[in-house]
Amino acid sequence: MSTPERDNDIQRRAFLKGAAAAGAALAAATTATAAEEPRPAPPPAAANLAGDTFVTRPGSDFMVDVIKSLDIDYVAANPAASFRSIHESILNYGGNRKPEFLTALHEESSVAMAHGYAKARGKPMAVFAHSTVGLQHASMAVYNAWCDRVPVLIFAGNGTDATARRPGVEWYHSMQDPGALMRDFLKWDDQPASLQHFAESTVRAYKIMMAPPPEPVLIACDIELQETQIHAGTLSIPKLVLSAPPQADEKALREAAKWLIAASQPVIVADRAVRSAEGVRALVELAETLQCPVICTGNRMNFPSTHYLNLSENRASLVANADVILMLEVADSWGVLHGLGDPWKDVRRVAKPDVKVIHITLADFLMKSNYQDMQRFLPADLPISGDAETSLPPLVDAVKRQLTPARAATLGQKADGFRTQHREMKERQKAAAALGWDASPVTTARLATEVWNAVKNETWSLVVSDRVSWPKRLWPTTEYHQMLGGSGGAGVGYSAPAAIGAALANRDRGIFSVTLQPDGDLLYAPGVLWTAAHHKIPLLIVMFNNRGYGQEIMHVQRMANLHQRNPKNARIGTMMWDPHVDFAKLAQAHGVWGEGPITDPNAVGPALARAREIVKGGAPALVDVVCQLR
Amino acid sequence: MAIIVATAALVLTAGAAVAQDTPAGGSAERGQKLFVDLGCFACHGTHGQGGDRGAGPRIYPNPFPWPVFQHMVRKPRRDMPAYTEKWVSDQDLADMYAYLLSLKAAPAAKDIPLLNR
Repeated sequence: MSTPERDNDIQRRAFLKGAAAAGAALAAATTATAAEEPRPAPPPAAANLAGDTFVTRPGSDFMVDVIKSLDIDYVAANPAASFRSIHESILNYGGNRKPEFLTALHEESSVAMAHGYAKARGKPMAVFAHSTVGLQHASMAVYNAWCDRVPVLIFAGNGTDATARRPGVEWYHSMQDPGALMRDFLKWDDQPASLQHFAESTVRAYKIMMAPPPEPVLIACDIELQETQIHAGTLSIPKLVLSAPPQADEKALREAAKWLIAASQPVIVADRAVRSAEGVRALVELAETLQCPVICTGNRMNFPSTHYLNLSENRASLVANADVILMLEVADSWGVLHGLGDPWKDVRRVAKPDVKVIHITLADFLMKSNYQDMQRFLPADLPISGDAETSLPPLVDAVKRQLTPARAATLGQKADGFRTQHREMKERQKAAAALGWDASPVTTARLATEVWNAVKNETWSLVVSDRVSWPKRLWPTTEYHQMLGGSGGAGVGYSAPAAIGAALANRDRGIFSVTLQPDGDLLYAPGVLWTAAHHKIPLLIVMFNNRGYGQEIMHVQRMANLHQRNPKNARIGTMMWDPHVDFAKLAQAHGVWGEGPITDPNAVGPALARAREIVKGGAPALVDVVCQLR
Repeated sequence: MAIIVATAALVLTAGAAVAQDTPAGGSAERGQKLFVDLGCFACHGTHGQGGDRGAGPRIYPNPFPWPVFQHMVRKPRRDMPAYTEKWVSDQDLADMYAYLLSLKAAPAAKDIPLLNR
């Protein structure tokens, strides 16, 4: 990594004519050199002509050095004037490598790409966003990342010096406090007033961002800091040392182990519990040691679907009969024990009244007031603050230390029963998947099965895995990277850009990426298809095209029936039937290989095979399949 | 979102019961159109196969017996909204029931190679 050095001179053009002009320019250089940060005084009017002066070591070069020090591979952004200097510095000073500039066509896409990338790669991507309008575009995607506990390193260009703003648009695009726009769902933000301040705050932001639970952070990049000469003589970049993740209190873990060992029907509910393959292995070890079934919510791949203790589809009966439930970073713990009817809001308890709940979570450390992502309050019987993944190995140790041979033998006798339950669960899932097998529009179960057949011989990753539940139920999932969950905040518009961001990370690791892409989601910002084509990001995009907002038609229909009015009108404003969107053409228009629309279920497999070869060749490909609503 | 589900007991009924007391004069063709127009397909699928992510239970094959089917539409339990005679006539119901009965059974899972690889 290069280190910025002080550059004392504003260079003058050699063709400056006349001693007076030259003298004036020299005076300007002297003044500028002597000036204090953040900005040198402007040259005298006589020399203040376009092209008279150069800024050969802009502050944005140093900003790039800071970003490089953090091992950031990519920065996604729409171009914008408020960060034009750092944009240029990345290209020409930084060589457009680590980070490489990814051309995005919407700030929401930039952030969602970074969101998907971070989950696939295990490290963050950076995003540049324009002040005001760019941050406003980005904000929904930042909220998704916040709810999903995913790091995104956001830089916002902004002009703080009112006297330096160009009249008109630059005023519209400046803020007094950029972080205020999304501070409710940022872990930290700052607006540095000097380059040294920038270095320290950016490294601090990275460190805070990555400490579990990881979350987005924002650093404002002042325009004047970016665009004026580096004048500080002793700039330095702090070293990055990440904090050890917070492990739960060992005494509390011993108590949890005691409860779990003594329980007759314990259950583990894992939500955003693990972040790595090591986390999966630790959870498997815990479940096997206790012979305890596991329910995965689908927000992370916590536990192999092929393991006999993964009984996620038996959730209702497992929770109903449980005497102890171990929750691991469960966002909606109340929802595990209860249901709420709609529209009458009647509460249904689905667990025993005396079930004991152990909850290992960091939620207490990340609570803010305005946005209600904390979900309904459930007082756990044994609440344990700690990072679930970090706390799993010591919990396993605590269980093993307390587990007597006799109790271990007793627990071991449960295994055959769970194997039978697992086998029967899988058979039920297959039987359900067969229903409507030859239907047109294509059933989502048929779609998922055809896609599995297309990718099963690849080292695959379903980069957005919550829009259709069938892969979770039918695909043999064994590795953490194979299913990356969903948006977190259920903000529509996540799936397409997040899939492309994750596919970028997978491309660099030799993993084949596939996604089941909802039509309504893609239409929020379809320009991201061009980004995938332009940057040659291989991704098999299989449209889950139900030609509408499937969930919303059900909501409106329910209201119509409740109000005793015409249910046939529920399609107005919810369905996209006249005309149908042609997604193959949409893909082609953005430079992506596209085929469809396909309505014959027997035509899906051959089309996927063709698309798979395009993806294996290093490009994105889209197959549009017209599907059932759900 | 809140999901639309029938009671577990009635779902089991759907799986076990044999259609009986079939109404006379139902038009499967008209019933198919109504099934879409009234939005039944949104939760239950166009072939009654049920919806993903808890949208709605399957109602085919082995649909509820005709009296139960009528009751489930008129006075559903839990989250399914009630369809009253104001907007869905008895004839409409008979037509939709005829449509469900007209559907060709899907192959069994064991006979679908893709589900067994």
